[in-house]
Amino acid sequence: MHGENTQLHAERPQPICRMVFYTFISSEGEISLLVVVVDVNPIWWGQHAQSEPEFTLSKCLDAVMVMGNAHMAMTRTNQLAVIAAHCQDSHFLYPSKRLKGNDDTSSSRDGKYELLSVTNNLIAEEIRDIMSKTELTGNSTDTLLAGSLAKALCYINRISKEVGVAQEIKSRILVIKAADDCALQYMNFMNVIFAAQKQNILIDACVLDSDSGLLQQACDITGGLYLKIPQKVALAQYLLWVFLPDSEQRSLLVLPPPAHVDYRAACFCHRTLIEIGYVCSVCLSIFCNFSPICTTCETAFKIQLPQMVKPKKKKPKLPA
Amino acid sequence: MASLSEEVLLVVKKVRQKKQDGTLYLMAERIAWGPEGKDRFTVSHSYSDIRCQKISPDGKAKVQLQLVLHTGESTTFHFANESTSRKDWEAAKELLQQLLPKFKKKANKELEEKNKMLQEDPVLFQLYKDLVVSQVISAEEFWANRLGGINNGESAACENKQEVGISGAFLADIRPQTDGCNGLRYNLTADIIESIFRTYPAVKQKYKENVPHNLTEKEFWTRFFQSHYFHRDRISTGTQDIFSECARQDEKGLKSLVTQGVKNPMVDLLSLEDKTLDEGYGISSALPSTSHASRTVKESSNFAIIKRFNHHSAMVLAAGSRKRDVPADQASETSSTDGNSRDSDFFQPPLKKVKLQEAIEYEDLQQENRPKTVALNLKKSDRYAHGPVPLQSQQYTTSQDIINSVNYIKHEMSNYKPNLTQVLSSAAASSAIAALSPGGVLMQQVAQQAINQMVPTEIQAELKHLYVAAGELLRHFWTCFPVNTAFLEEKVTKMKSNLERFQITKLRPFQEKIQRQYLSTNLTGHLECMLQAAYSKFHIWQTRRMMRKT
Repeated sequence: MHGENTQLHAERPQPICRMVFYTFISSEGEISLLVVVVDVNPIWWGQHAQSEPEFTLSKCLDAVMVMGNAHMAMTRTNQLAVIAAHCQDSHFLYPSKRLKGNDDTSSSRDGKYELLSVTNNLIAEEIRDIMSKTELTGNSTDTLLAGSLAKALCYINRISKEVGVAQEIKSRILVIKAADDCALQYMNFMNVIFAAQKQNILIDACVLDSDSGLLQQACDITGGLYLKIPQKVALAQYLLWVFLPDSEQRSLLVLPPPAHVDYRAACFCHRTLIEIGYVCSVCLSIFCNFSPICTTCETAFKIQLPQMVKPKKKKPKLPA
Repeated sequence: MASLSEEVLLVVKKVRQKKQDGTLYLMAERIAWGPEGKDRFTVSHSYSDIRCQKISPDGKAKVQLQLVLHTGESTTFHFANESTSRKDWEAAKELLQQLLPKFKKKANKELEEKNKMLQEDPVLFQLYKDLVVSQVISAEEFWANRLGGINNGESAACENKQEVGISGAFLADIRPQTDGCNGLRYNLTADIIESIFRTYPAVKQKYKENVPHNLTEKEFWTRFFQSHYFHRDRISTGTQDIFSECARQDEKGLKSLVTQGVKNPMVDLLSLEDKTLDEGYGISSALPSTSHASRTVKESSNFAIIKRFNHHSAMVLAAGSRKRDVPADQASETSSTDGNSRDSDFFQPPLKKVKLQEAIEYEDLQQENRPKTVALNLKKSDRYAHGPVPLQSQQYTTSQDIINSVNYIKHEMSNYKPNLTQVLSSAAASSAIAALSPGGVLMQQVAQQAINQMVPTEIQAELKHLYVAAGELLRHFWTCFPVNTAFLEEKVTKMKSNLERFQITKLRPFQEKIQRQYLSTNLTGHLECMLQAAYSKFHIWQTRRMMRKT
């Protein structure tokens, strides 16, 4: 480990000692890219901040920063990206465009590893900027999570191409989710999930509030971890324990087992979950009852009913 | 010793077996060998036990005969008599060849198959041991469903045998060997004879006419090889040769073949010509001679060889395309590729048309005749926006709420400064660690997954055997339903008693055993459940039967 990190140890709470273990077993020269997608839906955070003042968006971002720093400090070749998913747009907190600008702000006052201090400052600046520019349109109150994930995938793709063919790069996406699922993003979400699966990118999910079916599916399909946290104040601990190790190291650790995912589909007519249904062969829409005309694409169907077996008449017994 | 009523067919002295001298006796129903000087037979096999005999090749000094039995073991006899070993050996071999086919029994074959199956599949063997040896079910029931496949498979294989073609070089393969004294020795096998007959039906005809009335087989073949018909040049056609007629027929056939031409109208053979540069490399003005007389001797012999080659190839191809086992009536053969058949081809004009069409049309450029499909015409495409996701209760927030929240968060984040030293309190950290450790709130399922590590492997193996045996019995039981015949009624009752017996003799001891080892897990619950389902089904069936009878 580098010399600068001794100072790191002084300011970190106890659980970081596990970091040393990880460094010895990571392979040489392999780049590990972690993209953190943070749900910064202002409506949700504003509401919850008022009801739970001990865990606010600031605390959440602090925990994310701790994890990001830990990830970058583990190996020289590790890379980090942080995306904020807002209800208007999704925004890169790090690396941001401000990086190229001013160099004077990079001097840190507490002797920290420079990369870490630069990262932290940038993230803070960007989030302040985003939140101040929040405008209410009234229509959309849902987090644009699918869009942020798509941006993350594009970023990973770009970095993989920049790094070149000889260099191995392993990437994963960590989603920290606060607000509820938006059903309208279903198609985009599924596309993102399958694209990530094709590229061998893990999607992990750390859910703060209510369970999300879409993220459960994402984690199941790509091979990542899904965890709903019982205590939001201990977010940093959960992030470091469960989500910091990469997929190779996870096989060596005892982590929460994968939850059972409900893959049942909902019918298009009533939006209720069904186990057995009818699928239109033309438009692939799912129905719970048979109807001779598909309501989505108006194709007519014929179905053969099973033959009715007539009961045989019993011969009357002849009197002796 | 041999019983007096046994008829001894052949006695061969000085036959060694296992390095011991003795005598070989071939009786009417068995073959036996006794050592020299002793009265008893140490080796005796009845012909029905013998699967096949193997002989040592001709060239070897040791003259041996090996008998392979159905059970796989083999006995070897070495004919050690210096002077007569070969003769004895041949006599024994011939006799065995005649006697063995009489005694072959099919029943032994089945036993062999059963043994082979048991040896090859250890699971089957274990099942056999569990069920039949411990007398839960009888051996016939065990083999009832399994052997049916064997006999069916064999006959199907026989039907699909491919026909063996003719090697183009079969005549060359005969390869005469010099006898040492100016003679040639031709080695003819049955295969070569068959090839000759198939390719040259004329020769077959001659064979039929002359053998065995006029000539022996050996003489026929000797004459065949001696005749000029066989030799390359074939110039002189002496009339005393029986094969000269064949040569004339062949010539006729070749001529008709040439006049027939090639079937493919696109191929123009006539444009091919042997253009050799004569003396002077084409410059000198030597007149091209086309008459037969001016041909040199060498040229005409070349022509003869080429003609023979062409004819031979044509005959081989014709024989290959002819169907097998056609009765030897040349006139009935309808193949028009054979130069010797008299068939006129009616098919030339349409064939040319077909070939031309093939050449100018491309299949994938044609209009496709795909089955009719339904065009997609979406009326309610907004359904795909949410997809098959269930409706979840939305939490409605008033617009005032929204405005308040946003303002609050804006205010909070405007003064945001990362404070990384106060991220986590140790109390929160330790409670999180406790939740994540095995046994904690989030790790409940992990403990349950280690069951296969808690149960020892012998118990697991025994459980597997139990499942296989129970599955077999239950399969027999359930295939009896619906019970239509009296045989099935009997079988279903028998199977039920078998299941009960299985439960008592196998399942209960196993359960007691695992209880003794204090294994709290319920390993046999599922097996009991399956057996109970079978019993209840049987009970229902029985009550229904009673009701029907009354």
